[in-house]
Amino acid sequence: MMLKIEGLTKRFGKLTAIDNLNLNIPEGLKFGLLGPNGSGKTTLLRMITGLIEPTHGKITLFGKWTPTSRMIRRRVGYMPQQTAVYPGLTVSENIRFFGRIYGLSGRPLEDRLNDILELVELGDKKKEVLSNLSGGMVRRVLLATALIHNPPLLILDEPTAGVDPVLRLKFWDWVDLLVKQGVSIIITTHHISEAERSDQVVFLREGKIIQQGKPFDIMKRFQANNLEAAFVRSTNLK
Amino acid sequence: MAFFLLVPIVVMTLIYYALLEDEKAKLGVVTRGVARFYEYPLVSVIEEDEDIEIVSLDIPDKETDPAELDRLIMEEMKKGKAHGILYMDQQLLSERFAGERGAIHIYLEGSRPTSTAAIFSSIAEAMDDLTETMPVVIDAECSAKCANSVNIKAIEIKKHYLYGSEDYRLIDYFLPVFPTFFVFFFTFIISTITFQRERVRGTLERLLIAPVSFSQIILGYISGFIIFSSVQALIIIGYILALIQISFTPHQLFALGVTLFLIMIVALTMGLLASFMAMNEFQAIQFIPLVILPQIFLSDMIWRIESFPLVFQWISYGLPLTHANIISRKVMLQNQSLWENWPQLLSLGGFFLFFMLVMSLVALKRNKNN
Repeated sequence: MMLKIEGLTKRFGKLTAIDNLNLNIPEGLKFGLLGPNGSGKTTLLRMITGLIEPTHGKITLFGKWTPTSRMIRRRVGYMPQQTAVYPGLTVSENIRFFGRIYGLSGRPLEDRLNDILELVELGDKKKEVLSNLSGGMVRRVLLATALIHNPPLLILDEPTAGVDPVLRLKFWDWVDLLVKQGVSIIITTHHISEAERSDQVVFLREGKIIQQGKPFDIMKRFQANNLEAAFVRSTNLK
Repeated sequence: MAFFLLVPIVVMTLIYYALLEDEKAKLGVVTRGVARFYEYPLVSVIEEDEDIEIVSLDIPDKETDPAELDRLIMEEMKKGKAHGILYMDQQLLSERFAGERGAIHIYLEGSRPTSTAAIFSSIAEAMDDLTETMPVVIDAECSAKCANSVNIKAIEIKKHYLYGSEDYRLIDYFLPVFPTFFVFFFTFIISTITFQRERVRGTLERLLIAPVSFSQIILGYISGFIIFSSVQALIIIGYILALIQISFTPHQLFALGVTLFLIMIVALTMGLLASFMAMNEFQAIQFIPLVILPQIFLSDMIWRIESFPLVFQWISYGLPLTHANIISRKVMLQNQSLWENWPQLLSLGGFFLFFMLVMSLVALKRNKNN
């Protein structure tokens, strides 16, 4: 099991952001985490990445490690929703910086850099300063920095936010390719229709799971033509 | 919003007390032999000067050996008992009687130009009165014809400096604190804004997820700032060496380098703490006048801290730049070794540890609440 969550709760004062959540995510899947604003998606991701501690409950990664373990940090790539890269550096400088943070250097780093740039189709922009690039290109750089150390688990927080439809499709193509290469992916998105390309999805609402399963199974359950309609019907039921 | 109200009030209060500066120069008077008769009238004139305070000294009255008196006088100034000491010896009158100018000796601490100037001014004024009271010269060979001859030669003033020299200018007093101030100023501002941006942009979070510890991140910042501050310090010191009249030894430059390193890491931790306490860049910027301005006023940089009320003097010792400036001036102007200033070195080390601890606690609390 790639990720096991048991009885997870997170409170911020009187607000319960995550409420007694249990979830198992196997390896090698595209796992969609869906929900409206304030449903707890980002809080859940921040606990999985070890940025915040749960109030109660337990998270286990790859069967043995907690999120704050040093061993797991090398195995997780995180693409945040914010543009968390350095606008004053070039594309390759940004990617190299994060590569070095994850312990890469020398020839292996350069080879990996070139592979990543080829994947995200930014080979011709490697010497461009980020502040000169479009928002879509910056998102690609962000993805590249999350992949540079070849993590077996990739967490993407709203990767297609603010991105044009063409690039959104490209992102999902890259996600498919990465899963084929053995990377497990947890992805949150507002674009519920996109999540139909996930292997499994979880609907979150007010910190609780309201639906879980394969997109097709959920659509069938709610007799919906698409996942968005299924989500709306499931939220109306609760 | 509180800063908008607080900062102008703090600044105006400090300006008010800075411009009220009424610190007096401390002057001691030592007389020997017949010259003792002139001590009282001389002191009476000097005491009328509002800028001078006559102080008593721990020099035995019986001591008359010039070399020993010279040593004792310098010791008194080293201890900080006086900024200047006026010494009139028993030779003065006999020289005047012989038709010579005679000499008085002014010993000056020398590192405080305003005190030196006040002492000179006061003594010069008092010298006119002193000369008039000096006895008439009687020329034995001249007898009746020379009965009314008067020695109108001006008394020679011999100056002895504990620190510095006659060429010492006012600017030489201020130049030593420029490196410490600029290193502190730029390190604090840049670390505050940079770290705040790292937090807001999300790059700090990414670093925290990566296999690096928080202390490694801080060390990384310190390393970067060492390079930046070193370049900055080299430029400033190089420029000062071109302007200042005082020459430096490698030992002094090493001592200054250590001081700059310490004030840099203190400024860095203060900047990181300010960035943690600020919720956004706007708030972070407001920390800058609140931290920098009091230190300009109260770190003995421009205005003498002794001229402020006692509570401000206590606050002064709670400011890191005060200690850095003390070391800088004592090393560069008084040629003291770095280790003679161990209390200030210890204080700077203490500030660094204190701000690191507070920053860790704030970061931990924020992490729990997030």
